[in-house]
Amino acid sequence: MDSVCCGPGYASPADAMMAPSEKLLYTIAIYTGTGIQKPDYLCTIDADPESSSYSSVISRLEMPGIGDELHHMGWNACSSCHGDVNKERKYLIVPGVRSSNLHIIDCGTDPRKPSLFKVIEGSEIKAKTNLSAPHTIHCLGSDIIISMLGDAVGNAPGGYLHISESFEIVGRWENSMGDIKFSYDFWYQPRHNIMVSSEWAAPNTFMPGFDLEEVGHLKYGRELHFWDLEKKAPIQSMYLGEDGLVPLEVRFHHNPDSTHGFVGAALSANIIHWWKDLAGEWQWEKIIDVENEPHPEWPIPVPGVISVILLSMDDKYLYFCNWLHGDIRQYDISDPHNARLTGQVWMGGLLNKAPEVNGVKVTGGPQMIQLSLDGKRLFVTTSLFSTWDNQFYPEIRTNGGCMLMVNCDTENGGMEIDPNFIVDFGKEPNGPSRCHETRYPGGDCTSDIWL
Amino acid sequence: MMRKITIKNRDNITYEVDHRKPLLDSLKAKGVDLPYGCKYGGCITCAAKLINGRVNQTAQVALNNRQLNNGYVILCVARPVTDCTFEIGVESHDMLYRNPFIDPLEDHELKADIATPLENRK
Repeated sequence: MDSVCCGPGYASPADAMMAPSEKLLYTIAIYTGTGIQKPDYLCTIDADPESSSYSSVISRLEMPGIGDELHHMGWNACSSCHGDVNKERKYLIVPGVRSSNLHIIDCGTDPRKPSLFKVIEGSEIKAKTNLSAPHTIHCLGSDIIISMLGDAVGNAPGGYLHISESFEIVGRWENSMGDIKFSYDFWYQPRHNIMVSSEWAAPNTFMPGFDLEEVGHLKYGRELHFWDLEKKAPIQSMYLGEDGLVPLEVRFHHNPDSTHGFVGAALSANIIHWWKDLAGEWQWEKIIDVENEPHPEWPIPVPGVISVILLSMDDKYLYFCNWLHGDIRQYDISDPHNARLTGQVWMGGLLNKAPEVNGVKVTGGPQMIQLSLDGKRLFVTTSLFSTWDNQFYPEIRTNGGCMLMVNCDTENGGMEIDPNFIVDFGKEPNGPSRCHETRYPGGDCTSDIWL
Repeated sequence: MMRKITIKNRDNITYEVDHRKPLLDSLKAKGVDLPYGCKYGGCITCAAKLINGRVNQTAQVALNNRQLNNGYVILCVARPVTDCTFEIGVESHDMLYRNPFIDPLEDHELKADIATPLENRK
């Protein structure tokens, strides 16, 4: 064990699982699209059950501008820098997907009250790289890479922004986008020199809202891309077709030796599994298919819309949300070819299965999830994207979003919503806001990659 | 040329604006508090509803034909051709968003680049 040496993160996924429980959560809350002319903000939430302010927002950091649409975020450093004593997991990079501003937030100086350290303006990013609409952030050693979903005027395919560890724009990361049509999420497995990226749509397509009819006109993605990580160029694309409409969140196994990974196809409501076979070829298969549900009054059956997936740190369980149906599912993927449903809970959604939980009306459905390093506590929020919220859950404008916690049985499988944890974003001081992605100060199940 | 812009849901307050400038820039300069995002006509955040008048918004790429037919205007790229009356802000968005599983678009209601013109329908 080399846990005394060291830089940020953990020597291995097994070490990460033994880390202390998270006491604080950082969660994005937005006013974009609500009619409340206030900045989006980063909430710090008390997650220490021994604390008197447990299950409440203890500080709020407003962004400098209005209308960023904060969405996803990532750390300046993770376990990929574990061997470097000079590095520290201190700054959250919090992009505005509409403004393209990158907010660099200091969470290290006072973890209970983060402060704004620096802003990289969207206008500078557009001018220097012709990129916009930042999404996923990963650190790769000393480099920070951000998937950008569009060019400077919102057309696909976008590319990858490279910023230095001192938060200066280096330029474009990739050497080629090949024939890639769209960008969204990415994850990599350095020991196999491979990166996998997925496809949402051009910002000009998804930002105004979801026109289902545009899927058939190929305005949304249905491919998965495999990259040569060192060459920074795509080497193979997999056409997923009707099984893989709108492939969003990409997760490799945490085990750095594994070639197995998974992507959630949001609109097909399928989980796609990929791996490298014995002949060295990348293969894919559909392992989970969520049926569309008829709605008594609507002409078109409702797809689950799998907006997020994640893997537990031991790679045993896969979790995902059906944002429109309203359920969170837990599958045992010990055999990644044969996923076995082991748990399911309901909150909100369009099927009216659980309109109220822990005394709060749930508006929206289960959307972003974050799992504790030990795999036992899953935090879930309800908002997806302001314009899409407004289409499917218009009452969220007045009700706001909420955050719940789900207790997960890591031995036998199973999930239960914790009756004592609820953060109601309908009661925020400036009016109802919507909550999105969550990160933990010590790292979580979607933040760290091992070299 | 100056155009008179009336904001119906702000007590019918009026402003004189330059017809060559995007309405978002002109109204912001007059102190009107408006939501906006991309500033290139792609993200719909600044949509407003045109009650009277005409605008030139050929640069917008956010609105489908149904939203255009319902009077929506992307203020960050739209320029006033005539005097105009608007409803602004999220209060004007009552017809902007729809659930596509309840209320599908017809082929002529898609965005301009993929819509089938009405006269071509069988």
